[in-house]
Amino acid sequence: MAEELKEEELLEEDTQKGKFMTFQTGKEYFGISISYVNEIIAMQPITAIPEVDDYIKGLINLRGKIIPVIDVRVRFKMEPKEYTDRTCIIVIDVKSTVIGLIVEKIAEVDTIMDDDVIPPPTLGHHEHNKYVYGLARTGDTMKLLIDPEKLIKQDDMNMLETMQDNEE
Amino acid sequence: MAEEFNTESMLSVFLYESDQLLEKLEGIILEKQDADCFDDSDINDIFRVMHTIKGSSGVMMYENITKASHKLEDIFYYLRESHPEDVPHMELVEKVLAVSDFITSELDKIKNGETPDGDESKLVEDLDEFLSRIKGEIKKQGIRLPKENKQVEPNQFYIMPVAEENSHFYRIVIHYKNDTQMSNIRAYSATYALKGVAEDLLYTPEDILSNEASADTILVEGFHMYLQTKASKEEVLKLIDSSEAESIDFDEITAAEYGQDLVHLGRPDVPIVINLDDNAQPAKETKAAPMPGDYVVKTKEAGKGKTLAKNQPKQQSIISVNVEKMDSLMDLIGELVIAEAVVLQNPDLKVPGLELTNFQKASAQLSKITTELQEVIMSMRMMPLSNTFQKMRRIVFDVSRKLGKDIELEVVGENTEVDKNIIEHISDPLMHLVRNSVDHGIEENAEQRTAAGKPAKGKITLEAKNEGGKVYISVRDDGKGLDKEKLYQKALDNGLIENKPISEFQDKEIYRFITLPGFSTKEVVTEYSGRGVGMDVVVKNIQDIGGRLDITSELGHGSEMTLVIPLTLAIINGIIVRVGDSPFVIETASIKQFVRLGEDALIQEPNGEEYVVLRGDCFPFIRLNEKYELPNSQTSIDDGIVVVLEHEGRQVCVLIDSLLQEQEIVVKPIPPYVKKVKGISGCTQLGDGSIALILDIGGLILDEERR
Repeated sequence: MAEELKEEELLEEDTQKGKFMTFQTGKEYFGISISYVNEIIAMQPITAIPEVDDYIKGLINLRGKIIPVIDVRVRFKMEPKEYTDRTCIIVIDVKSTVIGLIVEKIAEVDTIMDDDVIPPPTLGHHEHNKYVYGLARTGDTMKLLIDPEKLIKQDDMNMLETMQDNEE
Repeated sequence: MAEEFNTESMLSVFLYESDQLLEKLEGIILEKQDADCFDDSDINDIFRVMHTIKGSSGVMMYENITKASHKLEDIFYYLRESHPEDVPHMELVEKVLAVSDFITSELDKIKNGETPDGDESKLVEDLDEFLSRIKGEIKKQGIRLPKENKQVEPNQFYIMPVAEENSHFYRIVIHYKNDTQMSNIRAYSATYALKGVAEDLLYTPEDILSNEASADTILVEGFHMYLQTKASKEEVLKLIDSSEAESIDFDEITAAEYGQDLVHLGRPDVPIVINLDDNAQPAKETKAAPMPGDYVVKTKEAGKGKTLAKNQPKQQSIISVNVEKMDSLMDLIGELVIAEAVVLQNPDLKVPGLELTNFQKASAQLSKITTELQEVIMSMRMMPLSNTFQKMRRIVFDVSRKLGKDIELEVVGENTEVDKNIIEHISDPLMHLVRNSVDHGIEENAEQRTAAGKPAKGKITLEAKNEGGKVYISVRDDGKGLDKEKLYQKALDNGLIENKPISEFQDKEIYRFITLPGFSTKEVVTEYSGRGVGMDVVVKNIQDIGGRLDITSELGHGSEMTLVIPLTLAIINGIIVRVGDSPFVIETASIKQFVRLGEDALIQEPNGEEYVVLRGDCFPFIRLNEKYELPNSQTSIDDGIVVVLEHEGRQVCVLIDSLLQEQEIVVKPIPPYVKKVKGISGCTQLGDGSIALILDIGGLILDEERR
C-alpha cells in the first residue's frame, strides 16, 4: 500500500463496492450494481422505433445524445403498466453501450456484501431467471440482483451481430 | 539547437507550414505551366517559399530538405537578379516540381515518424547543372553575371530610406565600462529605445542578440550606431541608457557622410544602395535586391520605427482544428438549441394574461444568435474543392507530359464547398477519372485531333457545381469519346455481360460497362491506366458516400464523367412530417411533390397491394402508419397527404398525416443496440428536443419491391 495512487483507486472502488441501486417492479425488488449506473432521470417523451422487439420502447434524447430505452417490465415478460410520475429511467453504461431502463419506482441504494448473496436455484430454469445472478435479503425484503450485461443482451440471432458491432 | 524547444509542437508547425507552402508552390507552378516564363511576382513567390522552407528545415535539422530547397532558391535568386532570357521554361517547371516532390516525400516520412533519409545529391546535381547551363547561355550573350549566391551568414542588407529634409544624422559610439556584463544586451536595449524615434538605424556589431561573443567586441571597440532621426541630440541622448556606459561619442553628420559610413560599416561584398538623390523612387524599387538569407531592413514610415523581419509568407488566416473538437462543439450547440427551446417554451410562462414583452424581445434575440451559431458550425465543416482540384492540375500535367500529349485543363467552380469528410473520399476517385481522361480520352497525338477537325491541344474541363443538395463534379474531355460497339464487344469477350444483342442495351448501360470489375478497353497497359481496376473502385468509393457516377459520351467528340455526391453526410435538408404521434424526416431532395388525393385515385389489388394513379402514371402506395404500426394516425387517404418520393429513378407514394416544417437536419445514427430497421436510415433531434426518425427512401422502395 505504499503508492498513494493505488490507495485512492481502492477507495474509489470501495465506495461503490457492495452498493446496489434497487428499484421496484410489481411487488419484486431488483438490484443493479451501482458501478453500471450513470444517472437517473425522470420519464421523458420517447420516440418509438418501428419493427423492433416490444421491450425496446424507443429513443430518448439525453442532452444531445440519443440513447435507446427498454422497459424492464416488458423485458421480464411482465404485463406492461401505465407510466406514472414515479416512473424513472435509470441510465446504465454497460461496456460503453448506454441504455435507459424504464422502471416503475426507484427504491434506494443498498449495501449488499458478496457473502449475503445467495445464488438462485438452478432447478426450474425459468426464462427470466437468467438475468438474475443472485438473491440478497436486506431489511425485510428480498432483492433480485440483475446482471445488466445479460439484461441488455438480445435473444435474437440477428441482434447478436449488432451486439458484437457494439462491443468493438 | 532543436532540442531546446518543444520539438513536438515545432515539428507540427513545421510540417503544417511546409505543406501549405508546397501547396502554394504547386499552385503557382501549375498555373504558369503553359506560359513562356514566370513573371517577376511568381519568381519572387517561389523564391520566398524555398527560402522559408530552407530556413525552417534548417532549424529542424533536416539537411537534405535544406540542401534541395537551397539549390532551387539559388536558381530563382539568379532568375530574379539577372532576368535571363531563353530559360527553358518547361524544364524549370519540372525542376521545381521535382524539388517539391522530393520535399513532400521527405515530409511524409517525417509525418510517419521515419527519418527523412532521401538522397538529395542527385537532385542537387541536376539543379546545379541546370543553373550553370542557364548561366552559360547568359555568358554567351555577354550579360553581366550577378554575384554567386553564396550561403553566408545572414547579413544586414540595407536599403537606404528616403531622406527627409529635417532629418538629422548621428553617429553614436557607446563605450561600455570594461566590467559590464552582457554589453550586447545593453546595446540591444539602446537600439530598442531608439526605435521609437528612428527613421533609420544601423549598428555594428550586427549580431548583438544572437552572438554572445559580440559582447566582447562591443567592450573593445565600442558599440557603433548610425541613426537617422528627426529628434534632437538631447532627446536621443535621453533615450539611451547610459548607466553602464563609460562614454558616448555623439556626432552629427551629413547625409552624405552617413551614407559613406554605412559603406564602411558593411562588409565589402554586401551591396549597399544609397538612394539619396532620387526622392521620387521608393526604396523597394532599387535594382539590387537582397541576397537570400539576408535580413532585409526596410524603413517604414518616418517616426514609426522600423521592422526587422525575415522574409515571411503571409500570415495564415486558417487554423486547423481537431475534428473531434468540432464534433463536440456541434453537439454542444445542439444541446444549446434544446435548452433554448426548453426555456422559451417553458410551461411556467404559459400563465394566462401574463405580460412578457421584454422576455419576448430578449428571447427573439437569443433565438437569432443560436440560429446563427448553428449556421456557423455547419459552415465550418464545409471546405472548398480548390485543394482537390489543384492536385488534379498536377496529375494532368504529369500524365500528359509523360504521354506526350498536349492538354489544357480548365477548372470551373473550384470554390464549391463540400463537407470535409466527403472531400477526403472523392480525391482518389476523381484522380482516376482525370487520369483516364488524359490517357484514354484525349487522342494519342495531335494529328489525330486535327484530322478530326479539333484543335491540336486537347482540353479537359473539371467542373464542380452545387445543385439541389448535391454536388456535381464532372470531368469532361474533348477526345475520342466512348465507342459503344467496342465497349459492348469487350464486355462480351470478357464475359462480363449476358449474351444479348447490343440493341437491347441502353446507351447508359453500355457506358456503365467500363465500371465493371476487370474491364479495360486499353490494349496496352500504361503506367497510369488500363489495368481495369480503377473504374469499379471509383464507383464503389462513390457509392460508399451515397453518390453515383454518370457517364455520357459522344463518339468522336469526347466524354463526360460526372460524380454526383451529397453535399454533406452529416446535415441534410429535410421536411418533417407526422404520422400518428411520430415525427419523421424526409430528405427534401427526394420529394417530388405533395398531393391530396381522393379514394378514387387508389387501386387495390386482390392481394392487398395498393397503387396510386397520378396523371396517368401508376405508383406503389405505402401507408406508413400500417407499415410501422403507428397508432392514432389517419387511415383515410382523404384526410392525409400523399408524398411522391423518388430514389434513383424509381418512385413511390407514401401516405402521411401532416407536414410540420422544413429544416436542416443533423443526421445521427440509430444507436447500434437497436437493430437496423428497414426504411429508416438514422435519427435526428428536432428543435424542441424530441427525436425524429429519418426515412431512407431507397430502403423503403427496396423493402416494398421485395414483398
